[in-house]
Amino acid sequence: METETKQLTQGKIDDNRNKPMKKVIFDAAVKKNAILASGMVIAPLVVYADTFKHALTLVISFSMITLITLIVSMIIPNKMVYTIRIILHTLIGAVAFIPTAMILDSVMPDEISSMGVYFPLLITNSMIISRSDDSQLHLDRKKMIADTLFGVIGYDVAALLFGTVREIISFGEFNGNIIAMPAIVNGFAYPYGGFILLGIFAALLRGIFLLVRRFKS
Amino acid sequence: MSYVLQILAVSFIAIFVENAVFARAMGASTLIVISRNRRNLLGFGCCVIYFTAVTGFLCYFIDKWIAWNENNYIYAPVVYVMILGLVYVITLLCLWKFTYKFFVRMRKYIHISAFNCAIIGAMFLNSSYCTTLAEYIFYGVGMGIGFVFAVYMVSVVYDRLYSLDVPYLFRGYPLLLVYIGILSMAFFGLTGYQLSY
Repeated sequence: METETKQLTQGKIDDNRNKPMKKVIFDAAVKKNAILASGMVIAPLVVYADTFKHALTLVISFSMITLITLIVSMIIPNKMVYTIRIILHTLIGAVAFIPTAMILDSVMPDEISSMGVYFPLLITNSMIISRSDDSQLHLDRKKMIADTLFGVIGYDVAALLFGTVREIISFGEFNGNIIAMPAIVNGFAYPYGGFILLGIFAALLRGIFLLVRRFKS
Repeated sequence: MSYVLQILAVSFIAIFVENAVFARAMGASTLIVISRNRRNLLGFGCCVIYFTAVTGFLCYFIDKWIAWNENNYIYAPVVYVMILGLVYVITLLCLWKFTYKFFVRMRKYIHISAFNCAIIGAMFLNSSYCTTLAEYIFYGVGMGIGFVFAVYMVSVVYDRLYSLDVPYLFRGYPLLLVYIGILSMAFFGLTGYQLSY
């Protein structure tokens, strides 16, 4: 049983190593999209990103913290035990939070303070935590950077789209400008509405993949 | 007596009214991973409650220490991560030394239960809402119980959400989110208003 598990893990490692760059990028940004397919970092999105402006604030703060953390974390040796590696990853995230908070506090103080506890919580976001797992460490350096970068870009695009649609259907507005909507559903601005809308978005992404597959075949 | 009631009310609020997942969506990503396997839910639950309680206890003293700084919210995450890391390492070492079999079985769950948004979120919310040591501990315990309760609520229907009877587009993850949303709506009925964050 143990040998079987080891073989499976080795197979996964080989698959990762042999992945072409295009596939790494596509998987990170679209196929395994952090929000729509993998369920990562959904807490701030569901609670906070109820408008385009809020989604933009989230995207900027998330990208800064996550990119700095993941790129700096690449210096951590792969052979280090998981227990120490996960602590170091989170600690780097917390340190990366300091300059991020200082910069964003001076650029967009109101937006940042409106994020409340979800802003510092980004240091333990699941994208950072999952990268401290073994499976991600078998890509070469270039692919790892591409995987990180496009994972964050995929998250950003999906979050902005989510925030925009949510603002339109919850408040009948886009970035504060009123849009003539036949009906608005305020409930989508609440966390439960965020969960439901996110579920619909995830189903839509799956539907798009299905359509593309059918079209190709 | 009123003090005991106050402590119970704090725990009750943390479990039901301000449930970590259904009201604040904290640890939702971890919930998606953990709810796949119901077998080790008890062990995972104990780990989460242990971490929220112990870190709550330590945060009480640390918060007083860092309160002098006007911009403490910028530095607090580093301090909180160090506390959590310390508790995590000491816990693993103790388990490894005294109950090796349990350590081997639970190692994976200890990792997941220690480093997630629910635990760090409990530490941040503790410092915002609580004033006494008992409140720190019991709010932490309540957050932990609330999180485990949410995981249990999802894990009991996990197989149905991934069943072949569900249309392909919604099968699994999308339906899981819709289900959490519906449960969250029910919990929202208890609160009746949007929580401040």
